[in-house]
Amino acid sequence: MIQLSGLTKRHGDVLAVDDLTFTVRPGAVTGFLGPNGAGKTTTMRMVLGLDRPTSGTVTVNGRAYRDLPQPLRQVGALLEAQAVHPRRSARNHLRYLAQSNSLPERRVAEVLDLVGLTDAAGRGAGTFSLGMSQRLGIAAALLGDPPVLLLDEPVNGLDPEGVRWIRTLLRGLAAEGRTVLVSSHLMSEMALTADRLVVIGKGRLIAESDLDAFTESGVLVRTPDHVAFGRRLELAGARTRPGNEGELLVTGMSAPDVGRLAAAEGVTLFELAPRRTTLEEAFMELTQDSVEFGAAR
Amino acid sequence: MKAADAMRATGTMKAAGALRAEWTKFASIRATVVLSGAAVAVSGLLAWLFGSAATRDYTEATAAERLRFDPMDPAMRGVFIVQLLVAGLGALIASSEYGSGTIAASVAAVGRRRLVAAKAGMTVLSALPVSVAAIWLMFGVSMATMASHGVPTLGAGDPAALITLLVGPLVLTSLALVGLSLGLLARGTAAAVNISTALLLLPVFATVSPGWLRNVIGVYWPNTAAFRALSADPDLPRLLGLGILAGFTAVLLGVAFARFESRDV
Repeated sequence: MIQLSGLTKRHGDVLAVDDLTFTVRPGAVTGFLGPNGAGKTTTMRMVLGLDRPTSGTVTVNGRAYRDLPQPLRQVGALLEAQAVHPRRSARNHLRYLAQSNSLPERRVAEVLDLVGLTDAAGRGAGTFSLGMSQRLGIAAALLGDPPVLLLDEPVNGLDPEGVRWIRTLLRGLAAEGRTVLVSSHLMSEMALTADRLVVIGKGRLIAESDLDAFTESGVLVRTPDHVAFGRRLELAGARTRPGNEGELLVTGMSAPDVGRLAAAEGVTLFELAPRRTTLEEAFMELTQDSVEFGAAR
Repeated sequence: MKAADAMRATGTMKAAGALRAEWTKFASIRATVVLSGAAVAVSGLLAWLFGSAATRDYTEATAAERLRFDPMDPAMRGVFIVQLLVAGLGALIASSEYGSGTIAASVAAVGRRRLVAAKAGMTVLSALPVSVAAIWLMFGVSMATMASHGVPTLGAGDPAALITLLVGPLVLTSLALVGLSLGLLARGTAAAVNISTALLLLPVFATVSPGWLRNVIGVYWPNTAAFRALSADPDLPRLLGLGILAGFTAVLLGVAFARFESRDV
């Protein structure tokens, strides 16, 4: 279990992480989502005691990270996959990490085997592709067989087979009762991997709930009067947002009610269809106000 | 009592693990291993060069000049170059982790305090044997070069040679710890090595400096003070000269540790 309470990090004038409070439960994969620059990595670095919080606290299984006696046996982390010495072999990279926490030497061979790098173990890590580096990073995280795992963008650079491999791996680790926190900026990937989602934007918590709660039913309406009708729907208590040309995505009102309202107002409808918003759309909507480096619209 | 013993035991185990990890890091990259060997090889080469030059000078010298001849002077001249390599070795033990980014994983694995302690331990463990080899080889090669041409030399047991052979390696090891501190402070190999080289070579400008500055960098500067303390006729009390370097090293290491403790990795 990872517990954050009022966690805040300020870099000069910039609030990188702003009063974050949430809990990551064991036995589930928790997706940690946010646009680039939302503060995901900074948050994870604070969990690991690498960055000092400006205020607030974070504990892992009830203890501050720096108080863990042999941290790699408690928490496994993948932050930057390519943070390895280019001339040092993958095996030696894992060996020194194992030695630092008095882990048995055989764990090195076990995790190399687990991530499928046994044949490349003697090669300098600088010769690895991004996908292989990600696998090495995951091997390092699993070295101490820890009950808590933190992975920052682990699917970056993996091919489709690698993505599926990591998805299965993470789900298996959670099924064993471990706490798994995985950050991503890809909602579609998290839709397939995570049980729960924590969404942040500009360092602030935007949403935290089970995956199902993020997808909600809505109604797609296509009409020539979409601007006026949209306003009318809002007055009636629905929420709308523009879709493609002449389309409205309506939530908070059923399709029959939208149809009745259109008839009462004399509005011509070309299309009226119930639909489920995808997780991707929900994410875009949630974070549209908090995109750090968004393209001009 | 038992609990305290157990805690001490696991504390020792953790320190040993951190040190073993540092050894694996040290031994598994080429730069540190090559630099260690280079420091020793350069020592031998410079000793032969300066020994040969001294032989030439001695043969052409007048009787009065021959009386003032100190064979330890050409024998140890190479230390001005070798000190740069040994300090660089210390710097690399910290800075190679910044260049590659492994510093985050290392801090997460053992914590800041134990990491710095293990790196200081690793610096001593690598720099001390290298320094012993470098200084003894320097002494042996230069004395042999000079003796083969009939120039008077000193035996290893001579008091004037003995202090250099025994304390000299400690002086170089201390400079390796200075390098380590600079590596931690500068967080990069290039910056750390540049700063340490400037710091250690500054005394070269002593002769062209105004009086007071000449004293500061020519007599009291940490590395000069310690090297001068090893000469047969030191211009500072020996303990003061060595104490200046020891104090400087301790303060710099303390500052580096405090900065490392307080800032983000």
